[in-house]
Amino acid sequence: MDWLIFLSIPFKLKYLRKLLPFVVIATVIMIAMTTFRSGAQISKSGTSMENLVSVSSTTSSTSSTTTSSTSTTEAKPTSVNTGPLLYEDSGTPATNSQVEQGKIYFDQSCSSCHGIGAEGSSRAPNLVGLGPATIDFWVTTGRMPLANTIVQPERKPPRYDPSQSLDIVAYVTSLGPGGPLIPNVSGVSNASIAEGASLFALNCAGCHTITGAGDELASGAYAPSLHQATPTQVAEAIRTGPANMPRFSPGIMTNAQVNDIVKYVTQSIQHPDNAGGFGLGGVGPVAEGFVGLLIGVGILMLFALWIGDRS
Amino acid sequence: MPSLLKKDKPKQTGAEKATAGAKWLDDRLGLAKGGRVFFNKIFPDHWSFMLGEIALYSFVVLLVTGVFLTLYYVPSADMLTYHGSYAPLKGTQVSAAYNSTLAISFDVRFGLLVRQMHHWAADIFLGAIAVHMCRVFFTGAFRRPRELNWIVGVTLLILGISNGFLGYSLPDDLISGTGLRIMFSVVESIPVVGTHLAFWLFGGNYPGNGVIIPRMFMLHVLLVPAIMVALVGAHLALLVKQKHTQFSGPGKTEKNVVGTPMWPGFMFKTQGYFFLVVAVLAGLGGWAQINPIWQYGQYFPYKVSYAVQPDWYMGWLDGALRIMPSWEFQNFGYMIPNMFFPAVLLPGIAFNIFIVWPFIEAKVRKDYKEHHLLERPRDNPWRTSIGAGALAFFFMLFAASSTDVLANYFNISLNLVLWFFRFATYIIPFFVAGITYKICLELQALGRYGGRRKRFNVVLRTAEGEYFSEKTPARPGDLDVLSGEEEEPLELTEEVSEKIRESSELIGVSSTELNKLPPPADQGVKRVERD
Amino acid sequence: MTSTEQVQTSEAAIDPTRDPRLDLLAKKPDQMEKLIALCFIVGIACFVAMMVFYVRGSSTQVEGALMAAGFGGLGVGMVAWGKYLMPKGPFEEERHQIGSTEEDRKAFADAFIGRGTIAVKRRSFLGKLLGLATAIFGIFSLGPLLDSLGPNPGNALDSTAWKKGSKVVTEHGRAIKVDDLEVGGFMTVFPEGNVGSYDGQTLLIRAGTSDIVTMPGRESWGPQGYLAYSKVCTHAGCPISLYQQETEQLLCPCHQSLFNVLQAAEPVFGPAPRPLPQLPLAIDKNGYIIAQAGYNEPIGPGYWNF
Repeated sequence: MDWLIFLSIPFKLKYLRKLLPFVVIATVIMIAMTTFRSGAQISKSGTSMENLVSVSSTTSSTSSTTTSSTSTTEAKPTSVNTGPLLYEDSGTPATNSQVEQGKIYFDQSCSSCHGIGAEGSSRAPNLVGLGPATIDFWVTTGRMPLANTIVQPERKPPRYDPSQSLDIVAYVTSLGPGGPLIPNVSGVSNASIAEGASLFALNCAGCHTITGAGDELASGAYAPSLHQATPTQVAEAIRTGPANMPRFSPGIMTNAQVNDIVKYVTQSIQHPDNAGGFGLGGVGPVAEGFVGLLIGVGILMLFALWIGDRS
Repeated sequence: MPSLLKKDKPKQTGAEKATAGAKWLDDRLGLAKGGRVFFNKIFPDHWSFMLGEIALYSFVVLLVTGVFLTLYYVPSADMLTYHGSYAPLKGTQVSAAYNSTLAISFDVRFGLLVRQMHHWAADIFLGAIAVHMCRVFFTGAFRRPRELNWIVGVTLLILGISNGFLGYSLPDDLISGTGLRIMFSVVESIPVVGTHLAFWLFGGNYPGNGVIIPRMFMLHVLLVPAIMVALVGAHLALLVKQKHTQFSGPGKTEKNVVGTPMWPGFMFKTQGYFFLVVAVLAGLGGWAQINPIWQYGQYFPYKVSYAVQPDWYMGWLDGALRIMPSWEFQNFGYMIPNMFFPAVLLPGIAFNIFIVWPFIEAKVRKDYKEHHLLERPRDNPWRTSIGAGALAFFFMLFAASSTDVLANYFNISLNLVLWFFRFATYIIPFFVAGITYKICLELQALGRYGGRRKRFNVVLRTAEGEYFSEKTPARPGDLDVLSGEEEEPLELTEEVSEKIRESSELIGVSSTELNKLPPPADQGVKRVERD
Repeated sequence: MTSTEQVQTSEAAIDPTRDPRLDLLAKKPDQMEKLIALCFIVGIACFVAMMVFYVRGSSTQVEGALMAAGFGGLGVGMVAWGKYLMPKGPFEEERHQIGSTEEDRKAFADAFIGRGTIAVKRRSFLGKLLGLATAIFGIFSLGPLLDSLGPNPGNALDSTAWKKGSKVVTEHGRAIKVDDLEVGGFMTVFPEGNVGSYDGQTLLIRAGTSDIVTMPGRESWGPQGYLAYSKVCTHAGCPISLYQQETEQLLCPCHQSLFNVLQAAEPVFGPAPRPLPQLPLAIDKNGYIIAQAGYNEPIGPGYWNF
């Protein structure tokens, strides 16, 4: 039975034998701790999730209050409130000074394509009667003013800050009535995220993907990523259907449902619970496949190169 | 009393105890003789022989993590209200399957880690099989007497892909549900029996009467794994019986195997490798999120997400579906649907070619002899280029499964990307095969003579600006570029050395490079002898 | 075979008779041993830490990292042990002929055929009866087995829940009135009473009336610009929910088949071979949208029709 001698090899390496006490101690500690485990507080990932939700809901509510406060500060006491209505559920119309200021911005940046009276041209559509929500969406997302009229406008840092945008909205709306008003998203804090998730999967995920990453559509169009949209912009997009996006009018979707979607987008989509680690871009199995093959199999092949011969 | 008993026996050392234990076992099982042979089994040392082990150990991890998951997973499509700890879905209607997968992810301790490790292990299992299969294919290790083991391996690949798809579909999330719907259509598209098959599988017209999830669960955790365990056993038994192949080299012949014995060297290395596989899987499982089903939501047959793809090993089939032209055949009132060609015919043909490849090659090359020495890929340019072409084909199909992601990433039109793939998938493999063939020949020309250089030509410029090329003087072992024949080495006289130095300065070789100039002919580079 | 002790002592003195294959790969085995011990200690530390974090409650990331580091330590240590502290070889093993010898084969064949002839071949009638019995049982058992798996398709694939006069309702069961949608709006609808059904899912789109290209026989199908198409793709059966309202196209999210909304949902791009079936709509006296009739062709992907 000479082959049995190999069984004793592990016991003959003196350093490893010295490790034995450590192993014993470690085992004792482990056993001790598992015994005491029942008394310990177990934190669940659910609690951290709730923290996240509460934190982001406060931020979204503050952002909505800032937008409304800007509109009230813009309304200077000396001006006369004879301008058009801009907001849903808000009795205060725009001021004349807003309209005047908006005309200046409009003449600077918009009239070259959309015409002096916003009546449109061969290069750009008529804006009269589109409504405040449409104008506000295109300007605040930075998509307008546009440098190149061929491609689908991309989101970029807006040229005008929110109050300036509002001036433009006031001016264009003063040229002709009609169209959806800027949605009121103050009800978002009471909205249901679960209902929003369900509505999103039915109506939005088809183009924007379920993670909100966006993707290429046919004919050179694309569904943009939703990760930077503000609550107001999400609601505006739903109501007005910018570019290729369909329009979800109140007959299809109630204000409460819009608020549900807004809450889901600005919380779950923009702050996904990546409990499992890096989200890999939220584009699903293709990215996972590359990681698995390049990193997983790749590292293991490097280990194989170390273990084996390379000749 | 133990102390009383102790007195009767003399104190035994650890080795003695082990010997006694082993003797007890051997008296009953008679393992010593066979065990000795097993311990002496030689494993070749080349690193590429470890690739199959990645698959083996991922499979072990799959079994272990899978057992953990079955403890919590509920294979049922019954709808219930979610009350778990993932806040955004609280109060919504979910299926019991999805509910339990959420529970594994958020409420079962270690659950998410194990679930992610399981999924990563599946991805890496199939990836390792693919890489391992490439090694076997390109080195001709499938030749007689190993055709059967090749077939077992391909069967394992097919079963692995199938089981991966089944497991991917179990959580009943939005994305896997869409995949399942496509699978219904694929089955439905099989001529004559397809519609019946689909109804049998799903228990009725899509989405069926709720039986598909329990059925897939049974297949995923019982039937397919049982067959796979048996086949893995057969794969390894055949490997022990037939012994390993090996690359040719000093002392390596058709009659022997050279390497490390099973015990102790290989056993330690391979055990360590198992730990490393677990380590990589745990690292990925903890840090790289895979299939975050809580972000996808419960599947309903009328809801869908854009950018849905299957796992990578099914990606080539999805790509084939996408680039298929919109053809459908209607004959005598019966229809052969569009899906049939890319989703049934293509994998059917592909896997059948895989399975019979050893026999095709033997027939074409009229080579029915036993082979234990491997061929280097360059030694068999035809096989290598066919393999490279096939790989390119499958890679193109895989890439075609993400036309939308590619179009979005590179900001090109989706239509353009699709048309590119419709042609490139068939053209690029031929280019790849051709280039591979050429590379093989080039490497052969080098390798046939023990890895020596061809002769340099230097381009010289005269003071008038005229260019001409001149051969550098032959050094020992240099080959003539045109004929490939070895040239008579010049004797390294002062004059020749000077000329070499001159030409070297012209092409800007540094002095350290010059020091590497070959020694005089009598101390010429020793050739590696080959059997 | 030589034990490790002997290998270690033999490397100091130059012994001409020693087998170089038994040398270790490590030049300084003692240092290597310390390194390996370090690896194992890392492993132990990680596993202990894992226990601590487990008790105190931890995240997947911590668990994964510690598990990876722990097993990584063990793995690197064991590989190094096997690679550097064991005889470096290479060792050699002879191959033997895999096939049996001619004699063995002959003996086997004799045993099989010889004995078989006596017992089986002369009783071939019995063999045939046995075969018949198993065949009958096999064929018989297929029936109940397959039957209970699922129903026969019959004409289940030809019809949907849409009937003449079915009210068009939303996901929540609300009936849709004629002014609910604006031009450029779309929604997923179901026949009343079958909300959420797979084959009933339909896309209701409101397009500009002047742009619609009416197909012969479908003049009355799209009142006031309302168009309804089956949501199930004719390619692989995915729900189509990408409506590009500017270009008036429907795109399937799975394999990018593109359909022209204004022209009876004809496929214009991608693998889909047939247009989406169109549901004829009407508006009832109360202003609700209803179906004139069910779909006049099977919805969804192609199949072998029995």
